[in-house]
Amino acid sequence: MDQSEISQPVTDDVVLRRIERLQLNYISSIDEGPLDNWPHFFTDKCLYTVVSRDNFDRGMELGVMRFESVGMLIDRATATQHAAVFAPRIIRHLLGPTLVDDTGEGYRSRCNVAIYQTSPDGDTMLLMTAIYNDLIVEQDGVLKFKEKRVIYDTHRIPDSIVYPL
Amino acid sequence: MDGTQSSNNSETDIWSEAGTTRVPFQVYQDVEIYAQELEKIFYGPSWNYVGLECEVPNSGDFRRNFIGEREVLMIRKDDGALSVVENRCAHRGAQLCQTLSGNAGSAIMCPYHQWTYTLDGELTGMPFKRGINGKGGLNPDFDMKAHGLVALRVESLNGVVFASFDHDVPTLKEYLGPDMVKYFTRIFNGRGLRVVGYERQVIDCNWKLQMENLKDPYHAGILHLFLISFGLFRLDQESKCLVDDSKGHSVLMTNKGTEEGKEDTGGVKIAAPDFALTDHDLIQPRLEFGDNTTLSIQTLFPSIIIQAQCNTLATRQVIPKGPGSHELVWTFFGFKDDDDEMKNLRLRQANLMGSAGYVTLDDAEALEFSQVGLSGSSAGDAAVLEIGGTDCESNDHLVTESLIRGFYMKYRDIMGHGKAGA
Repeated sequence: MDQSEISQPVTDDVVLRRIERLQLNYISSIDEGPLDNWPHFFTDKCLYTVVSRDNFDRGMELGVMRFESVGMLIDRATATQHAAVFAPRIIRHLLGPTLVDDTGEGYRSRCNVAIYQTSPDGDTMLLMTAIYNDLIVEQDGVLKFKEKRVIYDTHRIPDSIVYPL
Repeated sequence: MDGTQSSNNSETDIWSEAGTTRVPFQVYQDVEIYAQELEKIFYGPSWNYVGLECEVPNSGDFRRNFIGEREVLMIRKDDGALSVVENRCAHRGAQLCQTLSGNAGSAIMCPYHQWTYTLDGELTGMPFKRGINGKGGLNPDFDMKAHGLVALRVESLNGVVFASFDHDVPTLKEYLGPDMVKYFTRIFNGRGLRVVGYERQVIDCNWKLQMENLKDPYHAGILHLFLISFGLFRLDQESKCLVDDSKGHSVLMTNKGTEEGKEDTGGVKIAAPDFALTDHDLIQPRLEFGDNTTLSIQTLFPSIIIQAQCNTLATRQVIPKGPGSHELVWTFFGFKDDDDEMKNLRLRQANLMGSAGYVTLDDAEALEFSQVGLSGSSAGDAAVLEIGGTDCESNDHLVTESLIRGFYMKYRDIMGHGKAGA
């Protein structure tokens, strides 16, 4: 996110494919489950936030979710599955192509995302459009998110946000 | 809107002899009743929340909002005072400002024909007022003074701004009454405010169901498994439910609970009794108002809620969008002198609240279940509100629906719905 970040566009196809695969596996943990896998796409200390474009443009960090460790992400995954009341739904993420830069401390990855939601009666609605702005690092040979910022345009959210995004 | 119906016999008394213990389902879906609510409540003698003073710090700053379905602008004037005007040009009715907030400079100008107004809403001019070469334009006797923007009455209390379309409404403090002012100023105690951030969500249920939910402590100790699991809210906590003399406003407060004894849940089924929380910041508030209260929810008639759950403070504004839907706007706030730890706590504890909140997610879902359920009802069907008896009084316990019954006493009075005696 840091505008002063010195970065080089990544052109190595192997790296690009690994990052694309990480993103696809990530959304699969939400769309297809099990949600218990979702926290493990992150480094132990991390930042996961879901912030409206409106807040972001005002310099406000308030998010509909804000987690700073794998433990907090596990809390969310557990609570969603065992301590929340909501109508069942299907979530579907559609990702655009990913733009990747090497910042020296990790890969800065940005891609557009559209998130759809389908009700038990089978009606599909657009929940939000957003951009993923992520910092990805390699840990023991595995790529993980050190930061994942979901900055969403749809700040009059048409429904509750049950699952992570 | 889904699940709406229309009746032309609006003056018929739809309330049974059981009074406010039976809320007719019609009030949640009848388009005619909804239209009357807008006129009699939102555009009538009520004070409506329009924002925080800190959102418009500089001259010309504005923030756009709704009262009922009418758009208004809260504006900071040159002299530092505030004005609230309808966001609608007096010429052809165009919306004046499109952004949620901004700075209008020294005048408000309609983008359509550039009719221009002072920050108070007085019409000052327009292009080609006298036409071209003496042809066209306005007649010389056109009364500029009679064609300003609709200006509302404005009052603010410790940085929170309210407005009314009715210039004869009692003062804000009279409207709230001394008890409600006391609890209002417990949170808004004069310290400078800052906005932490906004959240907006559409919830497909009638606006009154949202207000009822915040006057319903009974549900909070049952529906919110997250709160129950971590002792943040339990029906056996030291607590109070206060109703004001008008019965329309209320406050609900509980003192600090503990995580101990979470297995004793009064018959509420918890799916994950072994679920332990990693992030204790979520449930360990820093007491900041000089008492042991860790949850307070104040609801002010008709449609604003002031929430202090742990250290997450917010106004929740309920904006009606037809009989079957409303928008909920959360303005999370803190104080200008918050230290870094408190700033972080407010951001983290916001996980409890909002459209993805550990707590309020359940509410939005349950409220939509209500609207779907009642949309199949027939005339005469009604909600049963007898938890805690039939009265509308204050209580020192939480197993009561008296605050909701109180809301409907005031509602019936204003709407002219029969005698609101019970």
